[in-house]
Amino acid sequence: MSSAVRNLSISQTVAEAIGLEMERDENVMVMGEDVGKIGGVFGATRTLQKRFGDKRVRDTPISEMAFTGMGVGLAMAGLRPIVEIMFVDFIGVCLEQVYNAMAKIPYMSGGNVRVPMVIKTAGGCIGSAAQHSQCLWGLFAHLPGMKVVAPSSPFDHKGLLSAAIRSDDPVVYIEHKALLLKKAETFLNGGHVPEERYAIPLGKAKVVREGSDLTLATLSASVEYALEVSEDLAREGIDLEIVDLRTVVPLDSETVAASVSKTGRLLVVDEDYLSFGLSGELVTRVIEALGPGGLKQVARHAVPDVPIPAALSLEEAVVPGPASIAQAVRELAAVS
Amino acid sequence: MTRLERFRAMLTLRHFDEACLEGVPTGEIHGELHTGIGQEAIGAGMMESLQPGDAVVSTHRNHYHALAAGVPMKPMLAEIFEKASGLCRGRGGHMHLFDAEHNFSCSGIVGASLPVALGYAYSFSMKGQNNLAVGVTGDGGANNGAFHECLNIAGAWKLPLVVLVENNELAISVPIGDVSATATIAERACAYGAWGKKVDGTDVDIVAEAFAEAAHHARSGRGPAILEASCHRFRGHFEGDHDSYRTMKEKREMRERHDPITIARRKLLAEGLAGEAELDAMAEASQREMAELLAEVRAEPLPEAAGALDYLFVGGKR
Repeated sequence: MSSAVRNLSISQTVAEAIGLEMERDENVMVMGEDVGKIGGVFGATRTLQKRFGDKRVRDTPISEMAFTGMGVGLAMAGLRPIVEIMFVDFIGVCLEQVYNAMAKIPYMSGGNVRVPMVIKTAGGCIGSAAQHSQCLWGLFAHLPGMKVVAPSSPFDHKGLLSAAIRSDDPVVYIEHKALLLKKAETFLNGGHVPEERYAIPLGKAKVVREGSDLTLATLSASVEYALEVSEDLAREGIDLEIVDLRTVVPLDSETVAASVSKTGRLLVVDEDYLSFGLSGELVTRVIEALGPGGLKQVARHAVPDVPIPAALSLEEAVVPGPASIAQAVRELAAVS
Repeated sequence: MTRLERFRAMLTLRHFDEACLEGVPTGEIHGELHTGIGQEAIGAGMMESLQPGDAVVSTHRNHYHALAAGVPMKPMLAEIFEKASGLCRGRGGHMHLFDAEHNFSCSGIVGASLPVALGYAYSFSMKGQNNLAVGVTGDGGANNGAFHECLNIAGAWKLPLVVLVENNELAISVPIGDVSATATIAERACAYGAWGKKVDGTDVDIVAEAFAEAAHHARSGRGPAILEASCHRFRGHFEGDHDSYRTMKEKREMRERHDPITIARRKLLAEGLAGEAELDAMAEASQREMAELLAEVRAEPLPEAAGALDYLFVGGKR
C-alpha cells in the first residue's frame, strides 16, 4: 500500500467505496436518478454501471416516492440497496417512505425485520439557493430509526460509506456538494485514501485538531473551513480543538464533552438550520454530561432559520464559512 | 382450493376480525382498528394463487391479506392485542404487521404500500425468481401519486407486480365516483401497459379466478396487473367512525345483498356442493376455534415496559 495521496475527488472515493462493497457482496445495488449511464450528476457512481450491469446500478425515472419505497422492499427482500436522492432537498417528495417505512419498520416489527438500506444524498451550500442548498441532517436525526452520516474528509467519505452499506440499520449518508468535486490532495485533514476496502465505525467522532482554548464541534464541509482558519486563530492566541462529529446519529457527545472538560468553551458550527437541530442537541448533551457549571462559554453558529438566499452576498451572510467561523470563534474567546 | 375450502377461508377471516372487535370496547385494542368485514371474498380469493416466496404488502386494513399470505394466526392476533408474544412483540399493533418469513408487510399510510411491493417485485425480477409481489390498495389509495409512479415503473421494467385494488367505493366518506377521472381503477391499466380487470369482489370464486389470471400475467414476465375487486365495507372506516355518510337503510341493504359469505353459501347450496347442516357446522367450528384462540391470546402478558427502547437499531438501543 502506497501512502502517497492519490489525486482523487471525493466523488471518486465514494464510487470506489460502493464498487468495493459491490464486489464483496452481490446484494449491494444502487438506484436513483442518473446514477447509471452518467454515473451520477456529481460523479459519485461513475463506472459502476459498466462494471456491475444495469440491474444492479439502475437509472430510475423521477419517481422518488416509488424508488425510495422500492429500497425498503428490496432491503426486506434481502438486498442492500443504496438509494440516491440527488439533492437532499428532494426528500420532501419521498419522506413518507423514509420516516414511516425505512426508519420505523425495524422497530415496529419488534426487530424481526431489518431494513439494511442507505439513502445517499448531496447536501450543502454551493450557491444554489433555497431549494438546492440545504443540509437537513437535523431533520433525519430528529426522526427515530435511522443513522445519519455526514462525512468531511476523503478518508472518511470512503470508510463511513462502507460502514453504512454494511450496516444492518437504515442509514442516511449526506455528502456535501462543495466537497464532492474537491481533490483529496487539497484537504487539510484525511486526504490519504487507501485503495483497499475499509470501514469506519458509525458513531465515533474524531478530534482533527488538538488545542487547549476552545472546542469547535462540527461536521461535513465546516470541518475543513474550521481547519482553514485554525492556524490564523492560533497566531491570534486562540488554540482550537476541532472535533469532527462524523455522524449525527449516533451522536458522539462523549468525545465533545471530554474535549470541553479540557477547554471549557464550546462552539458548535452547523451548516443546517439553527433552531431545533444538531447545535442545540449537542450543547444540551454536553451540559447534561458536564453539569451546568462544566462550561465557561457556549455558542452556536448555524443558518439563522431562513431559507438559503440566491444572491451570494446574502448567502454569505447566513451560511457558515471560514470567515464567519473565525469571527464566531473570536467572539466566543473574547468573552472572559 | 375447493369451493368449500374457499368458503371455510372466508369464515376464518370473518371470525378473525370479529375476534378483534371484541378487544375494542374493553380497550385491549385501541387506535383506529380497521376491519375487513364484508371484504372476505378478496382475502380468501387471493390465497390459492400465492406461492412460497411471494410478497404481499398491504394497507391499514390488512388482516385478511396477512392471513392469505400465510402469517400464522396466533402471533398475529397476539400482535393485534399488543402482547409480548405478538408477531412484532407488541411494537406494531393492528395496523403494522410484519412477517419476514412470509414476506408480509403493510403500511398504515394510505398509498404507501405499492412502492414497497415494487421493491420486492424488482428483487424477484433481478434474481430471476418466479415470484410476484402483491401491492394492496383501496380505491382511496389508487388516487395517491405512488400508484402512478409504481405502475409506471413496473410497466417500464416489466416487473411482477399485482396491484390489488379493493374498491369499497369510499375513501372514508368520499365516494370514488366523486374523485376519480376514470369510471374504474382497472381501466387505468392501459396507461401503464398493464393487465387490468374489474371484478365482483363479493364473489370468492370470481375473485379467485381473476386473481389467478392476474398472478399468471405477472409471473409470466409481461409486467404488472391491476385487479380491481368491488366490495363493501360493512363497518365504519375504523372502529369509532360514526359512518354517518351512509343511511341506515343503505347499510342494512348492503349487508343483506352483498355479504360474500351469504353469497357463497347460497351458491354452494344451490349447486348441491354442501348441505345446510354441513355449512352450519363449519361455521360453528370456525367460531369455536377462534374463541379458543382469542382466550389464549388474552391470557398472554403485555410487553415489559423496560423494553420500550429495544429494537430501534441492531445491537443497540439508540
